Amino acid sequence: MALLETVDVVKRFGGLTAVNKVNFKLDQGRIVSIIGPNGAGKTTFFNCLTGIYHPDEGQIIFNGRPLHRLRPDQIASHGLSRTFQNIRLFGNMSVIENILVGMHVHLRQSPLSTLFHLPSFKKEEKEAELKAEELMTYVGLKGVGNELAKNLPYGGQRRLEIARALAADPLMLLLDEPAAGMNPQETEEVTRLFRRIRDQKGITILLIEHDMRVVMNISELICVMDYGEKIAEGTPDEIRADTRVIEAYLGRGAVAGQHEKKVA
Amino acid sequence: MKRFLKSINIRELLRPIGQMILFSLGSTIVLSVIVLLLALILDRTVVGQTLIERLNVSLFTYTLVNLPQVAIDGLTIGFVYAAIALGYTMVYGVLEFINFAHSEIFAVGAFVGVEILIALEKFGILSNASLVMAYIYLILAIVAGMLAAGALAVTVERVAYRPLRHASRLVPLISAIGVSFLLQDVIRLTESLTSGQFNRIMPTFGNFDHRILFGKMAMGATQITLGVSIKSIIVIVSAVLMLVGLNYLVNATRIGKAIRAVAQDHSTASLMGIDVNRIISLTFLVGGMLGGAAGVLYALKFTRIDPFVGFFPGLKAFTAAVLGGIGNMTGALLGGIVLGMLETYAGSFMGVFTMGAAGTEYKDIFAFSILILVLIFRPQGLMGENVAQKA
Amino acid sequence: MIPVFLKNTTKRLEQGLCPYILILVHMVLGTALVYISPRSNLAFLVLITSFFSLYSFKADRRFKLAAGMVLTLLIFPVVGVRNIFYLEVIFQISVFSALALGLNIVVGFAGLLDLGYVAFYAVGAYLWAFFGSQQFYILHFAPGTQPSHLPFLLPGDAFYLFVFVAILVAALTGILLGTPVLRLRGDYLAIVTLGFGEVIRVLANNLDKPLNFTNGPQGITPIQQPTMPQVAVDGFNALFGRVVGHTVSPADMYNVMFYLFALAVIIIIIFVTRRLDDSKIGRAWTAIREDETAAIAMGVPLVRMKLAAFAVGASFAGVMGVLLAGSRTFISPESFSFMQSIGVLSMVILGGSGSIPGVILGAATVTILNLQVLQGLSLYLSQLRQTDAVIPIINFAWANLSSQLDPAKYQRLLFGLILILMMIFRPAGLIPSQRRKREPASDEAEAKEYHGTP
Repeated sequence: MALLETVDVVKRFGGLTAVNKVNFKLDQGRIVSIIGPNGAGKTTFFNCLTGIYHPDEGQIIFNGRPLHRLRPDQIASHGLSRTFQNIRLFGNMSVIENILVGMHVHLRQSPLSTLFHLPSFKKEEKEAELKAEELMTYVGLKGVGNELAKNLPYGGQRRLEIARALAADPLMLLLDEPAAGMNPQETEEVTRLFRRIRDQKGITILLIEHDMRVVMNISELICVMDYGEKIAEGTPDEIRADTRVIEAYLGRGAVAGQHEKKVA
Repeated sequence: MKRFLKSINIRELLRPIGQMILFSLGSTIVLSVIVLLLALILDRTVVGQTLIERLNVSLFTYTLVNLPQVAIDGLTIGFVYAAIALGYTMVYGVLEFINFAHSEIFAVGAFVGVEILIALEKFGILSNASLVMAYIYLILAIVAGMLAAGALAVTVERVAYRPLRHASRLVPLISAIGVSFLLQDVIRLTESLTSGQFNRIMPTFGNFDHRILFGKMAMGATQITLGVSIKSIIVIVSAVLMLVGLNYLVNATRIGKAIRAVAQDHSTASLMGIDVNRIISLTFLVGGMLGGAAGVLYALKFTRIDPFVGFFPGLKAFTAAVLGGIGNMTGALLGGIVLGMLETYAGSFMGVFTMGAAGTEYKDIFAFSILILVLIFRPQGLMGENVAQKA
Repeated sequence: MIPVFLKNTTKRLEQGLCPYILILVHMVLGTALVYISPRSNLAFLVLITSFFSLYSFKADRRFKLAAGMVLTLLIFPVVGVRNIFYLEVIFQISVFSALALGLNIVVGFAGLLDLGYVAFYAVGAYLWAFFGSQQFYILHFAPGTQPSHLPFLLPGDAFYLFVFVAILVAALTGILLGTPVLRLRGDYLAIVTLGFGEVIRVLANNLDKPLNFTNGPQGITPIQQPTMPQVAVDGFNALFGRVVGHTVSPADMYNVMFYLFALAVIIIIIFVTRRLDDSKIGRAWTAIREDETAAIAMGVPLVRMKLAAFAVGASFAGVMGVLLAGSRTFISPESFSFMQSIGVLSMVILGGSGSIPGVILGAATVTILNLQVLQGLSLYLSQLRQTDAVIPIINFAWANLSSQLDPAKYQRLLFGLILILMMIFRPAGLIPSQRRKREPASDEAEAKEYHGTP
């Protein structure tokens, strides 16, 4: 059974149909990319999955449960975690606190144990901090736990967002343009990080990305969107050869073979 | 001359007048029907009996006889709210920011207008003025109020809001609350220094207090005269003129186009060669002028003003703007009229309908209940589009 | 040259015993000055500010705690009893500190601009005012028409019970008011809370009919106080009678008692705030303040967390309301105006929203400006008015000065200036809040392991 399945998802804004009848299936443990020109409805689709928008029509089934009527925080607690296109960290909180917020759904501390620092509270906080430090090391942010998030360099902020998303122990990670604004070396590093996350933690990854090097390098399946519709789906090689995709990106009559060029 | 006439966009002049008539008639009819139905229902209960004992008149008759006067009063205050609400809505449209100090800009307008008239009265000019001169003096006061309020609004924006334009949302709002408080006491201080007191009374002159009578109606043993005071007519006519003018400015001129462009997107507008700062100043100027004129009109209608006079009209006008759909100018007009009517109807009939348990004294919080209900059930307002926060 | 010199001096002052000596000198100097000239505002300011040299100099925590306790529990009450005006100032500082700290949870931590905070203060105050007075027996009388010699509904000692009842009632009111509106965007929320504040005030003004709950604009009086044990009065007299210089009346002792109550509430608020701040709840609040969308995407239930902030903030205001009703024995709707809400807000903003020491500094500064500077100026002006003095050059006689110019009435000017200037020049406040630095947990764990297996 698919981990995530969407059935005829539609989202309209006034007269504009941003997502139009998207059917999509994603199996557990895969790395899948959604690509498409700017304004193709990719981020809107993400926002429908994570509950920031409620789709006007259609269903979203995740891990056997319908998601499309839930609030974003409920969806997060069901194991769907995300990052944002334009980094949205809690800038005035420290790095470790950002990660601890990501664990919110798993922390059981009651107000009473919080107020009186009962042993259960202390134990849980300690474990949470240890786990947060592990995650910092995992994404390559060791030793900056007390820095304010806004003071991290750009690449560090991207990594912190990933660590914060991982903190919720998600079944699936939604990454919205995780390599945007990175130099080739950094891009290389996060690409490896994604693969590690999937291989070691078994977390399914769905990403939106414009950088074709990342997409072609990492994806096992690519889904192409244009004007709110899914126009193609397939392996990187299939997508590379798909004329409709090339048309969507480069317009009619474009020369095949230019798909390696970064389209952002 | 011909070319000038040709260049005037008649449609943009007529459209708002049509809207105003529609909104006024619509809300009058709807509210009157509701009130009359309520009266019919309550007539058979203890409420109706109490009234018969007290005034020897059925609740239905009582309501019916009072309705025309209530409708006119409601319309008058409704147009004042609409004029103030436009100031909130224009600024919100351009900056997405609640100009909390707008209520004091309104108050400053009122004070400047009233002070000028008081000065004229002191020199004996007002009492000897012919009817024509009386109107000219009133127009002078309104224009002076507009200029002062407009200039103040621009200054406030320059000093207290512009440095904060890129801060988080609540920062300029807090600054605006500060400006509001500061201005209240500055008015008070200035008035105390110059005239020794801060409650000012609009001088009586001209024929503004005169009532044009339509006729008399019997209500039990007493007679009720139906009429409309010249004041109310002046308030409504001036408000209509201003609203038409504003609508024309925004929808049919180059400047208006620039304002709308800035409201859409600052950076794009500036790429198109629009001086965004200038347009924002202009928005504050126009909004402030409308508020200032509304202030003088308010003083004309209610006679007494004090430095805190802006607080409730300001909040109600804000409610009106939200009710109509903030950022939407037609909405502000509709919201103002509807709120003024609702409030006057409620204030006039609630006391009788609840047998005195709750009456006019709740008029001021009535608007808040509406604000809260609107924000919960239809945050985009009556005419606004759904403005979902971008993720 | 001079900055370097200053830097060196401050560095030297931070070393060794220097801070301890400075703190002590400041405290002793303040106490002595107030003792010598009990009417001088300046002397009092020196004493009050010693609290802040206590805060700002680096010294051992235990020393600071002890010095703080001596200052608040010993010196302030004694000085206050000697000059009852000082006690009033100190009491008001404590009351407003508590209110500002409560509001700080809502504004500073969760980032919800609540412009109607005094509504909850009013709820607490009217709660005890109703049950702690004769109001229950005059429900059917219009204000001013009640018969005399009515009994009280509850004994004065029920005050203590109502401190806790108020926590619940105010928190419930907060949840009730908050539930429909907390999903609104920040600026709308601000206006709606303002509306709620006004609604509560107008209700207090008008609920004298059909049933007389609040006695309308006249307010409720007398409100009972808890019984004052004679032992406390006698004991205080025996201990400090000589220093104070006159026998302390039970009325004075009441003022001291309510001051100590307020102090206790402050300490509890600080405790609760600190503990919450360092937990899942506090982190969720800060996350909401920083970025709502990101917070909810991380699984923070937005409305529930905002409601919690609202309820916690409200409950503290409720407690302070009961305290106000008990200490004043009289309350009227006037005490719960929009201006009061803005006053408390300006304290939070001035000191630094989210920062506990900042907020206390803000509350103290605004209260002192209000009570001492503005009222002092008023006093000075009214003295001038009674003389023949004229302002030189413009030749204006002070006697002709309007009484409307009374500076004490210009609180709005003060609040307005504070809000504008702080927003433009120092939006984080005088003492900006700081995130706690954490010791790396793994280091500690490793260290333990290391020591465990030598």
